[in-house]
Amino acid sequence: MERVRGPRAILAAIATPSQRSPNAALIQALGDAVLPVELGAGGVTRAVAEFQRWMDGYNPGAEANHGYGTGRIGQLPADPRPQWRSQLAALDADARRTGRPFSDLPRERRQALVRAALHNERGDALPNPLLARHVALALLAHFYDSPAATDLCYEAQIGRQQCRPLSAQRQEPVALVRNGR
Amino acid sequence: MTLLRRQARAEVIESDICIIGSGITAALVAEKLVEERPARIVVVEAGDDTVPLAERSAHRARFVAYGESPWGRDHIDGMTADGIQSRSMQVGGLAMHWGGVTPRFSPEDFRVKSLFGVGHDWPVAYEELDPFYHEAERRIGVAGEQGPPGLDPRGNPFPMPPIPLTYNLALLKRWTDSAGIAMWSQPSAKNSVAYGGRAVCCRNDTCAPVCPVGAKYSPDFTWNALRASRRVELVPRTLVRRLVVEDGSNRIARAEAVRRDRGGANGSPVHFRARTFVVAAGYAWSPHLLLLSRSDRFPQGIANRSGMVGKYMTGHRNVFAFVKLPLRLYPGMNEQHSLVTKQFMRPSKLDRYVRHDLRVWESSVGRRPRLKGDDGAVLLGDALLADWRRRSTEGTARVRAYYDVIPDRESALTLNESAKNAYGDPQPRLTFRDSPESAALRAHTEDSIKALFQRMARAGNGEILRSGVDDFQDHPAGGCRMGDDPASSVVDSYGRAHDHENLFVVGAPTSVSGGCANATLTFLAVALRQATAIGRE
Ligand SMILES: Cc1cc2nc3c(=O)[nH]c(=O)nc-3n(C[C@H](O)[C@H](O)[C@H](O)COP(=O)(O)OP(=O)(O)OC[C@H]3O[C@@H](n4cnc5c(N)ncnc54)[C@H](O)[C@@H]3O)c2cc1C
Repeated sequence: MERVRGPRAILAAIATPSQRSPNAALIQALGDAVLPVELGAGGVTRAVAEFQRWMDGYNPGAEANHGYGTGRIGQLPADPRPQWRSQLAALDADARRTGRPFSDLPRERRQALVRAALHNERGDALPNPLLARHVALALLAHFYDSPAATDLCYEAQIGRQQCRPLSAQRQEPVALVRNGR
Repeated sequence: MTLLRRQARAEVIESDICIIGSGITAALVAEKLVEERPARIVVVEAGDDTVPLAERSAHRARFVAYGESPWGRDHIDGMTADGIQSRSMQVGGLAMHWGGVTPRFSPEDFRVKSLFGVGHDWPVAYEELDPFYHEAERRIGVAGEQGPPGLDPRGNPFPMPPIPLTYNLALLKRWTDSAGIAMWSQPSAKNSVAYGGRAVCCRNDTCAPVCPVGAKYSPDFTWNALRASRRVELVPRTLVRRLVVEDGSNRIARAEAVRRDRGGANGSPVHFRARTFVVAAGYAWSPHLLLLSRSDRFPQGIANRSGMVGKYMTGHRNVFAFVKLPLRLYPGMNEQHSLVTKQFMRPSKLDRYVRHDLRVWESSVGRRPRLKGDDGAVLLGDALLADWRRRSTEGTARVRAYYDVIPDRESALTLNESAKNAYGDPQPRLTFRDSPESAALRAHTEDSIKALFQRMARAGNGEILRSGVDDFQDHPAGGCRMGDDPASSVVDSYGRAHDHENLFVVGAPTSVSGGCANATLTFLAVALRQATAIGRE
């Protein structure tokens, strides 16, 4: 049998920060505004860091997983980061027009700016984060697609798509340990 | 092991048995032949070597994170069918991507004409296939639960205990029990215990397209072992372009191929000479190769005196629904595993013909997080999480029924002269078509299944969120139909071409009909039975 590494460890290893990523302080301020307080400050910081790593590891135009029953070979979308960076800058510029940088605005004011930016987005689902038209939506979609978010929603340790003992699937998932993400 | 010599232009590779294709069918046939015959076996595969197991975890991580293909060079540019065909031309073929779901067909699938007066019987009965089903289950490693013996007859127990029901599936089973439907754990080629030197499934839940730990069977495991034992020579990156019949006889003399990785854009020609040729190139490329092998002597292609090559392409459609149920389910426990039943395989003779399987999975449909609340306001922070929680207190079941589609003779694979590959060979065009009797039954079948879903929803105080029909033929097969009558079939039940004593076609292309369940285990059982005749001629 061959030794295998978990997906998160591998992603951490392949991802290196890049100049193309949005500004780290701004994205942290965005995360503080849009992610659940219930995550705790540490949880929000972790979720933002995972989003950053995910962005840095992206390979635009890579071959997409094949569709079923079709010969079409698809490519992953173009790099969304330049657009996301300018959207963050636009949020900051809007904030500065009211006298303070985005990072220094109270949470409710930051949320109000994000709400306005997402006003025209589709509401019945969160998109594939790579296809999110706004950086705030991308951050939300990335977090809510994570196994940790599912656990938080169900308040149970489900561990979706992670290597878990097969026999344990008979039992109801045990309750989530608070702030124990 | 093989004799190599240079001819004027083409390299020549000689063997006793030449197998074309290295998919799951070829893997099992080669393994059996190696065990049972002292023969030199050469396997020719158009595609490249596949991603080694040690690299799959990293590829999976990128698939999960971004949707990247985990299989790298798994296809050949320009080699594609017009019609239903997933891409995977590599060592291991399509089953590098497969989900590993391995039900058997039901005994009735092989006798629909005699039992129900529709379609065609197979020239082989379930009872004859039972030992070969078991052999396939043993070779690939199937974890399964014995269903009620009347519905799920088998001569031998599964080689592995079943994949246990998740907490979710146990609740859903209580629901289906209450609807009067007996369901059990779906047999799967996934290790419920360590098996074949491979790891136990640990619910990574990305079986299709990639298992990162090797708990799901894929054909590369068999090829690795056969290549390491040096008992099979596998020649990758080599596309067979035509089979050539010996002058003055009907025997196949050679397979003419091109090494894609040598000789620049045109490749380097290579001829495979053998006593016996086995076409194991899957449902699309097998009939395609026979049609491509046309010549002045065989203008319709080889093995095609009946005109049946490429005809009677088969598969099954499905009707699906998502059912909201007042159950606390936890989506994500093991979404790829399901319950199954064969309760609907045996319609009464008095009923109008409808046959289907039924499967039930956990699902998160209708329970995913969303951006806006019922009032249309953007949800941020704790409000989004609270909205998601509120909508997740109840559960959703995914239900699906594959139903029997009787293929028309003109459900066909033909050569598409307007689409050629890099070597100038026309590519396949697939046009699936129901027989008139099947077309007449379609609405009734789909309505009956939807009515069953409604009944199930009511039994659980639930509600159908949405339902529909996947309007394509799944688990495609056929094109080199087997039969006893050379006028209406391409090969006999042992896969031997009626027209060429040393040519065999094995597995999926020889299927007579598509049944009502994932079909690969049946392709394998059929092929293992066919392998008993190969090399004995
Ligand atoms: C995403 C996905 C999920 C699936 N899940 C399931 C499942 O859960 N259960 C199930 O029962 N089925 C499933 N299937 C279907 C299953 O994978 C196929 O039925 C099975 O793998 C077919 O095997 P095969 O040996 O018939 O042909 P293939 O896998 O197509 O192998 C044929 C091989 O021959 C090679 N070849 C073709 N022509 C030539 C030539 N001229 N020269 C040299 N080489 C050639 C090809 O490159 C290929 O490698 C799934 C399929 C997909 C794509």
